[in-house]
Amino acid sequence: MIRQLRAEQIKARRRRVWAVTAALGLLLCLWGAFNYRHADVSDLAQGYSGLFYQLPLFNTILLPLGLAVIASRLCDWEIKGNTLKLLCTLQKKERLYDCKLLMGFKHLFLIACMETTGILAAGARFHFTEKLKIRLLALHFMTLLAAGAFVYLLQQTLSLLWENQLAPLVVGLIGSFAGLFSLYFPKEISRLVPWSYFCQFTPILMDWNRETRQQRFYPTEFPTALFLGFLAATVGVYIIGKLLFVRKED
Amino acid sequence: MELIIETEALTKRYGKKTVVNELDMKVPQGSVYGFLGPNGAGKSTTLKMLLGLIHPAQGRIRIFKQTLNPKNRLEILKNAGSLIESPSYYGHLTGRENLEIVCTLKGAPKEEIDQALALVRMENQQHKKAGHYSLGMKQRLGLAAALLGRPRLLLLDEPTNGLDPAGIQEIRDLIVSLPKKTGITVLISSHLLSEIDQMATHVGIIDQGQLIFQDSLRALHAHSRCRLHIRTTDNAAARTCLAQKGIAAAEKNGQIILEDASDSSVTRAIRLLVYAGVGILRAEAPQVSLEDIFLRLTGKKVSL
Repeated sequence: MIRQLRAEQIKARRRRVWAVTAALGLLLCLWGAFNYRHADVSDLAQGYSGLFYQLPLFNTILLPLGLAVIASRLCDWEIKGNTLKLLCTLQKKERLYDCKLLMGFKHLFLIACMETTGILAAGARFHFTEKLKIRLLALHFMTLLAAGAFVYLLQQTLSLLWENQLAPLVVGLIGSFAGLFSLYFPKEISRLVPWSYFCQFTPILMDWNRETRQQRFYPTEFPTALFLGFLAATVGVYIIGKLLFVRKED
Repeated sequence: MELIIETEALTKRYGKKTVVNELDMKVPQGSVYGFLGPNGAGKSTTLKMLLGLIHPAQGRIRIFKQTLNPKNRLEILKNAGSLIESPSYYGHLTGRENLEIVCTLKGAPKEEIDQALALVRMENQQHKKAGHYSLGMKQRLGLAAALLGRPRLLLLDEPTNGLDPAGIQEIRDLIVSLPKKTGITVLISSHLLSEIDQMATHVGIIDQGQLIFQDSLRALHAHSRCRLHIRTTDNAAARTCLAQKGIAAAEKNGQIILEDASDSSVTRAIRLLVYAGVGILRAEAPQVSLEDIFLRLTGKKVSL
């Protein structure tokens, strides 16, 4: 496995996948921080809660396409270079799938780290008066990874199965819109859209007062059962995706 | 004769269509085995089955005396190199980096990269991006990758496809030199008879998924047993005379065709005709070309 991961590292040279990851992380941080330029006392008093509410929304918009780009950049060289039939004489197809997944998860992990660091940096830069709840930060980090892993799995499988790399990117783009707009629908419907899960586990809800035009963020119970069900679905997608890739004859 | 590859009733079906039909292939050690057949005959499918890239519907494959199965496939293929259809390469990486990947996956020492590059004469292009290579250079890069890890067997699927004449000759020379230099066994597929004739020591001819000939190239040439064509002043009298003495002869295009063109048979037939007063205008024994044999075996016109 180490040898195969090393081979993946060599393949990634000159592809600037890191640049995509860095750009995504930076964009998410800047977007999150942008809202606090002219924050008042009330905003700063619920600064972290506001971020924990808004960032999942930004993730829903940016990450489906962003992860589709990363998956495509990590897989398209195999399709373009017609290398799968060579690789399959050198390594197990299952291993290749897993190595690519680990490479992708590394980037997802980095995005999650950047976003988490961004939350802490925003708190320090704008002097949030709200006390940071480590539990909420950890939940945000964990749910971002979980939802990202599902979307990345889907994108990687499509990128490895489809010759035309534009198609998985279109799926990613559709995912961004579908994830966002599904949130306007009842939960029973929105939960059927995998890209919406960046928001489904948010530990914070918002109450918007029309008259005072004030927003109030308040914590909600973490949907543990839903989260566990989602993790099980992720494992299911992993098994099916890998099986489809392994069964594909080159 | 030790066999490196041996297949038994190897069959592949796509739906109802049988692409490879009960193939019994025998590749002797140290040979250059030319796997010849028209386009769509089942050559690539057979090679892919040998590499475990596609699964046979039935039959058995033995490589290095071990029966190939999903569990031992990679272990067996550690001793094999392959170049299947179009070359595999990472266009954004240099030639050397491409070989580094194969070297890493095979667990071969890095020093072998220089040797492989020297063998395919690509030392000067190794730092260029593979995406900028010509097709010939990509094929040579593929060949270098196949040679990494010092394989005992090389499977090459139409390696000269799309190359210019100079590139074709270069690849052919390289392939012919490999068994002598490294003791490697080469299985090379092609639809070009002349190509196989120049490189192979053994030949297998496949047509519509069936192996219709398999032997040494010498044996294939022996099939080109010539017949004697005699032009006479009286073909009818000549045929009657030969038939009376039990010599098989036929008339075609105004010539008497003698099936047995051995020295003794020719001497006897000519003597008989002269004694019978039949004038002999010309006697010739045109060599039957490999193309004719191929045509006879497959019923298809061969690419040259």
